[in-house]
Amino acid sequence: MKTISIDHLTRVEGNGGITATIDGKTVTEVKFNVFEGPRLIERLTVGRTPEEDVSLAPRICAICSVSHKNAVLRAMEDALDVNVSKKIIYSRELMHMGEMIESHSLHTFLLALPDFLGYPNAIAMAGDFEFEAKIGLEMKNYGNHIMKVYNGRWIHGENAVIGGFGQLPTKEDLTWIKSRALQFMPFVNKTVALFCGLDYPDIPEDDTLYVCCEPGNNEYGFWGDEILLSTGEKYSKYDYPKVTNEYTVSHSFCKRSRYNGRPFSVGALARVNNLGDRLEGQAGEMYRKYFNDRWKKNPLFHAAAQALEIMYCFERIPQLVDLILADREEPALIPYTTKEGTGTGLVEAPRGTLIHHYAIKNGLVDHSDIITPTAMNAEEIERYCHIAAQKLLDEGKEDEIRARMDIVVRAFDPCISCSAHSVEIERVPETAWKDRLLELSAKKAPFFVGVGTEDRSDDRAGLELAARLKEMGIADVYTEKDIDSIRSIQEQRPIIFLDAVNMGESPGKITLIPVDHVLRNVNNSHKFTPFIVGALNGAQIKNSYVLGIQPGTTDFGTEMSSSVKEAVQKVVSALTN
Amino acid sequence: MNNGKPKIGIYELTGCAGDALLIVDCEMELLDIFTAADIQSFAMAKSDNIDGELDVALVEGSVTTEKEISELKDIRERAKIVVAFGNCAAHGGIQARFDDKEWQENLKKVYGNQKFTHTKPVRSKPIDEFVKVDFYLPGCPVSKEQFLHFLTRMLKGNPPEHYPTPVCVTCKYNENDCLLNNGKLCLGPLTADGCGSVCPNHNIPCFGCWGPVENANAIAELHLLKEKGFSVEEIKKRMANFAGTKLADAIKQL
Ligand code: SF4
Ligand code: SF4
Repeated sequence: MKTISIDHLTRVEGNGGITATIDGKTVTEVKFNVFEGPRLIERLTVGRTPEEDVSLAPRICAICSVSHKNAVLRAMEDALDVNVSKKIIYSRELMHMGEMIESHSLHTFLLALPDFLGYPNAIAMAGDFEFEAKIGLEMKNYGNHIMKVYNGRWIHGENAVIGGFGQLPTKEDLTWIKSRALQFMPFVNKTVALFCGLDYPDIPEDDTLYVCCEPGNNEYGFWGDEILLSTGEKYSKYDYPKVTNEYTVSHSFCKRSRYNGRPFSVGALARVNNLGDRLEGQAGEMYRKYFNDRWKKNPLFHAAAQALEIMYCFERIPQLVDLILADREEPALIPYTTKEGTGTGLVEAPRGTLIHHYAIKNGLVDHSDIITPTAMNAEEIERYCHIAAQKLLDEGKEDEIRARMDIVVRAFDPCISCSAHSVEIERVPETAWKDRLLELSAKKAPFFVGVGTEDRSDDRAGLELAARLKEMGIADVYTEKDIDSIRSIQEQRPIIFLDAVNMGESPGKITLIPVDHVLRNVNNSHKFTPFIVGALNGAQIKNSYVLGIQPGTTDFGTEMSSSVKEAVQKVVSALTN
Repeated sequence: MNNGKPKIGIYELTGCAGDALLIVDCEMELLDIFTAADIQSFAMAKSDNIDGELDVALVEGSVTTEKEISELKDIRERAKIVVAFGNCAAHGGIQARFDDKEWQENLKKVYGNQKFTHTKPVRSKPIDEFVKVDFYLPGCPVSKEQFLHFLTRMLKGNPPEHYPTPVCVTCKYNENDCLLNNGKLCLGPLTADGCGSVCPNHNIPCFGCWGPVENANAIAELHLLKEKGFSVEEIKKRMANFAGTKLADAIKQL
């Protein structure tokens, strides 16, 4: 087996890596690891006052510190029934835009653009593309400036508190922010034209479920009290666990999320997909000019979506400044008293939906739950890297896999502190399936499920194998007819599907593949996909594998070819010795 | 030295990446920094990183996995000077508040019985629990002024000195009304300076994010807080948020 591994993904915030495992012609597994250790931030907030938590929780991530601040404030104010004035809300929105501009300009110009132009970093790029590098830095600087004006410093500022702000910026500060936004517009136009016009590679592309906050009033925006899916479904913020369904995996300290067993994307591309037709002004014009169907399935368009959002922010900032200045009399801070309650705060961080949820009891935080965008995107990063790796392998471009996976990961702009740095590619030997199978069985006895059709020669392999295992006295062997029993499996035991899988190999080749990965890429000899998807939930999918045998022929007939028979025998011996 | 340029490596262990981000945030000085120094490794900003001999290693983040322990030891072996860069590296960060038992319990609460296959987690500790540290730049995150000052001194071969005073000193220079007079628990008297008293400048009490000041006068400061009506327990609890594993020493001083 061969592993391609990028061990320290560079140019993403934080610490992680990604590993692709190749067995013959199949990319059997892609794992997005987060090496960064567990910080247990949620647990650190428990037993502290709401005010301390407003200061502690944003320490999860520096580059999203303002988003965390706005999320924790929204949650705490929800819990404590604090109703802040319109002016405070506009002020927080302006501060939020500072972070959007800062983060998006850093990602587009300085982290992603070198990828698309073929440079190792922004400094190397700056020699030939000085203008782009400078604009990127100027915008970033402007975004940081807004955050500094509002929050005292741009990273982990403390001026925004429950009830408002310690102190509001002066009129001079605000008018400067407004006039600077107007001056930037010609460059913002160039930014959108550059990133929306880039020739993005078409690997990987696949149908995607997008999730973001519903800002309400048919407006674009960065927070709301509902969650909107690209299917049109909506959930109240209090029902967020129905969308996120968090669970842990063994190869990462970053938790995972799935909706109805399906991974989903969050971030600028999700927002533009779900809300783009609400964009007005020049951003709206640009959206209508550039948006097309590829944006719906290609994560590399994240950079284009970020550029549109930069424009949205630059158009919104002058409006916000006017709104804030029109309301000079409102105080900076409103008083409140701590009471018992629970609250949820939803915001769109630059990288996607961010959820904070707290319960307050006896003046202290009793329970806290924080779900970060990178936790939600982790599954998508694996899925897209896998699709890209398989596609490039199919096209005989194995040597391009590493660089492409690196670009895919970076497209998601993961801030790994949200709980990544590295791509590893591993080629495993012919017999890798055996070691893996024994390893899985050694931990916890698996459930085996035979899949296939009796009268289609080699497609019987799975059913034949199941029958043989039963004969050998192995417990918990099912066939696909037992679908209901399989659906109700609650135990955390591996589920191994036995099936004939067309991997383009010579007949009889055996491969053990996580179900997830079969769903993404391999062309099965029969309709494996819907059957599995309907039967399993997210955690089960993560714990399920397909033991695939390459069929020779699947014509009508009851006799299997000799190499497939041999393969069946190999599996039986492996499991019964 | 390479063409007379010092070789610098910037490394991230576990934290929020705020200190590395702060370097990227030196927008207007960034090109100068990359010109004046030979930046050998900086995973957040570049992909052509080399792990060789270094003049200075800036290490951000605390140690929370076994993998990080070996990474850190490797950095120490390669670098002439190791700098604890930011609160997590210097004091262990907010994640260092739990003792062993609390840490075990809380890890279990978050991850259940999940066994990790990629690396083993350990309780968060500052880097000086594993290697010798030559300089400390605390702060959550470090301040840009402090960093640029530090870097220019390093580049010129003049090692920088400590900030020996608490936040209160700068706060007084900034002519703020003392928040203690308003009954707010401000940790300014017990916190190392370097931020320019930014929170009190905005009417917000200091939460202590620079960690405890090494100051012989701590007793007097504590008495001041007690006089204002705050209990030692309350003060300790608040300090524990950012003092990490250095809280015990800080409290001994009190
Ligand atoms: S407000 Fe805080 S930092 Fe400023 S003088 Fe008072 S105690 Fe010291
Ligand atoms: S005033 Fe205190 S909490 Fe605020 S930045 Fe300075 S050290 Fe940190």
